[in-house]
Amino acid sequence: MRILVAVDQNPYSAHVVKDVAKLAGNTWADVTLLGVGPKVTDIRQSLNKAGKKHPLSEALRTYRRNFLDHFEKAESPYEKRNCNHEFVEVKRGVWEELYICRGARKDLKILLRSGNPVKEILAQAQDDDSDLIAMGCYKAGDCQWEGAVNLPQKVANGATCSVLVIKEEKKIRKITCCLDQENISQKSIEMINQMVTLYQTELEIVGLTDGTKLKPMVGKNLNAILKYYNAQQIKAWIKLVETASLESFISKEAKRSMMALWMGEHALLSKIFHRGKVEKLIQGSESSVLLLR
Amino acid sequence: MLRTLVYLDADLASSIALRYACQLTQVVDMKLHTFHVEEPDHDGHAPGTGWVRRTWESAMLKTGEFEITQLIKAEKSSCPTLGAPKMIVGDRENEILREIQRESYDLFVEGSLHSFTAKKLYDKIHSRLYRHIPCPVIVVKNLVNLEKIALIVRGEEESNKLVSLFVKIFSGAKLNLDLIYCEFQEPGKLSSKGIADPNGTLNAVKKNLMEQNWHPKDCRKIQGAPEEIGDVLRDYGLIAFPLHHSINKKSNWFQLLSHIPSPILICWQ
Repeated sequence: MRILVAVDQNPYSAHVVKDVAKLAGNTWADVTLLGVGPKVTDIRQSLNKAGKKHPLSEALRTYRRNFLDHFEKAESPYEKRNCNHEFVEVKRGVWEELYICRGARKDLKILLRSGNPVKEILAQAQDDDSDLIAMGCYKAGDCQWEGAVNLPQKVANGATCSVLVIKEEKKIRKITCCLDQENISQKSIEMINQMVTLYQTELEIVGLTDGTKLKPMVGKNLNAILKYYNAQQIKAWIKLVETASLESFISKEAKRSMMALWMGEHALLSKIFHRGKVEKLIQGSESSVLLLR
Repeated sequence: MLRTLVYLDADLASSIALRYACQLTQVVDMKLHTFHVEEPDHDGHAPGTGWVRRTWESAMLKTGEFEITQLIKAEKSSCPTLGAPKMIVGDRENEILREIQRESYDLFVEGSLHSFTAKKLYDKIHSRLYRHIPCPVIVVKNLVNLEKIALIVRGEEESNKLVSLFVKIFSGAKLNLDLIYCEFQEPGKLSSKGIADPNGTLNAVKKNLMEQNWHPKDCRKIQGAPEEIGDVLRDYGLIAFPLHHSINKKSNWFQLLSHIPSPILICWQ
């Protein structure tokens, strides 16, 4: 798994780094910490005569330290290891002394890009082939980034991978997930698992009905998922929601749960929940939001 | 030994209900009897009499037989006393009622998944089956561990009826029991106090239970909106609830009942 963490210099970003470190500890993910700031020609040089450094470079260094502090040095998959000259057989019977770095088992990249933050974040996710973009925002108000209007919402709408918007310091009591009803992917289940483990919380799985009954295939899928979570000792609840009331359910539930919505290309939710509604959900939600793709 | 009828269809709700009922047998001296009614399609009237009808019925039963048997087979390892299901063709509610009356079951268990809208539960409570059922019912909304039970205390008379039913069903079981007194308020003011209510109902019910060797661990008054109280009660593996058949859809009690995600033991008043 590769996680792209989009950060700025505000406390919500520090909080996201902390959460992603825990997530990376469970998944051994490759991680990129990305800051988007003003354009620079040489990052090593001061931005002005007063000697002021690039505002994000220091923040990114602190985030890297905080991220790595989450791991015991000896066990950290991101810890750089020894480099030595070693003979390596490059062809049958031909040995060459190479400078071998027994490097980190997992990749931690710290990147600084300049330009339009939304475009740069999405471009980096594309370059990295990220599975998840994680970012924070102020809990109060409408989930904003300092100096960038509706950034989390725009990234969430524009991304082709999953997006996790973490609201600052909000205790998550329950994850309510609305998965694709008939073709639930293993990837989405695993992502939900990671969230449940990360936040040590209960799980509520939504089954969509046409007002009468669950479709037999949906019932079978939910039963299999329920058995799976029960076997993992995860407390999982089922809740039936009529497709017609899904919007009011989500806006009500977002006030007290972290919402996880499967928004894959052909997902039912992508049809019901257009871009404007996703923005509204991220803005209005009291808790974090995970859009699975 | 408590004789319990578990109604099964080939769906998720029944699968959960069966697993929950199997859990019950581990704490209560209980024998489960499974039952399924294959309903003809709306226009599928039974053709004729004699062998024609019998052939038609046996063809109908074959439809559901495989899936119901699979459902039971899956739970057999955790619930070895599960027998073969009884299956008949007919009207679901009429046949269940007839079966309960014929065999004098002590308890009826069925699955009905927790729903965002209350209509399904309201229809169920006001159904012909529930209006005439002679025994208590457990509606299994979700599969949870049966470790802690909450008894919802209302008036003293209702609560005493609930206590005697509870004691009858759970005689000899080792479970944690809490008494909950609910007071409905506007949303946003949820509070929970471990005190007795002023008119002493909680104390009286507690005394009644203690006389029958049940020692509630916690006696608590919860104040809040039905939705908030329902959320608090999710920690329980079973909520014993006194219920009048005439309950109104807009009443706080019904709202609470619909918001509880855990299984509910309904004690008819």
